[in-house]
Amino acid sequence: MTVSEPATTVSIASGPLVGPILRRVVGMLAARADLPLDRLDDAVLVADLIAARAPAHSVDDKINVALDPGDRSLLLRVGPLRQGGGKALIVDAAVPGVGNVIEQLADELSVTPEGDTEFLHVRLAYSNGR
Amino acid sequence: MHRQRRGLQPRMGMMSSDVRLTLPASPESVAVIRHVLGAFAVALRLPPDLVEDMRLAVTEACTNVVRHAYQDADPGPIEVVIRPNGDRLDLVVADRGRGLGESADISGPGLGLPLIAALADSVQLDHAPSRGSRVAMSFRCRPRLGVA
Repeated sequence: MTVSEPATTVSIASGPLVGPILRRVVGMLAARADLPLDRLDDAVLVADLIAARAPAHSVDDKINVALDPGDRSLLLRVGPLRQGGGKALIVDAAVPGVGNVIEQLADELSVTPEGDTEFLHVRLAYSNGR
Repeated sequence: MHRQRRGLQPRMGMMSSDVRLTLPASPESVAVIRHVLGAFAVALRLPPDLVEDMRLAVTEACTNVVRHAYQDADPGPIEVVIRPNGDRLDLVVADRGRGLGESADISGPGLGLPLIAALADSVQLDHAPSRGSRVAMSFRCRPRLGVA
């Protein structure tokens, strides 16, 4: 993807379509970013978690995700979320006996405020050490 | 082209859309959009023949955007809205490019818009040189719409 290309964004009304749509968009962009199969699988798992947990923290009844495929990496920007929603979404991704899945899978994880809302940034990348 | 067989369609700005995708107007994005339509079809348990019609029509509309809407050095977005609307499925493909008219790419048989008109139950086409183009399609699903 060249620098001048517009971003890919997906906005889905909360409901049963969020998961099926988001996992496919993330999966295809992860493939386009040339992520290896295991990391592509991780990206889809993160997408499923976002689809399941983000509606509780969204400022409206939509899930908005911007995707930026890079050189063997994929950045997801989730939001706008309610204040505290970014951290809460991460906490909600904890699975008993497994731990926090997003924290374990993401190479970078951050929450940035923007006005009265905030955005969760999740970056997955290929690295030889994984 | 302006054809409406089964009533007026709502403008995209007035819709509370269920799915809205914005992607770079590139051939790869057309594949993503087709894939998303497939997910939509599975979730809504749409009949295969309807899904194929929708996919073909949306592919034609998106391909038009990729080929004609923007200058090569200045790629812009392609916007797709998918919305179940009662017993219909409304699909909108829009761009912010040059609108319809003369294009540097005149290869191909030019069957895209007639094909879309033949596949969809209703079609509305809007375009303006400064605002891009917008193809709104509606497909009748009858009693099959029900989220799985």
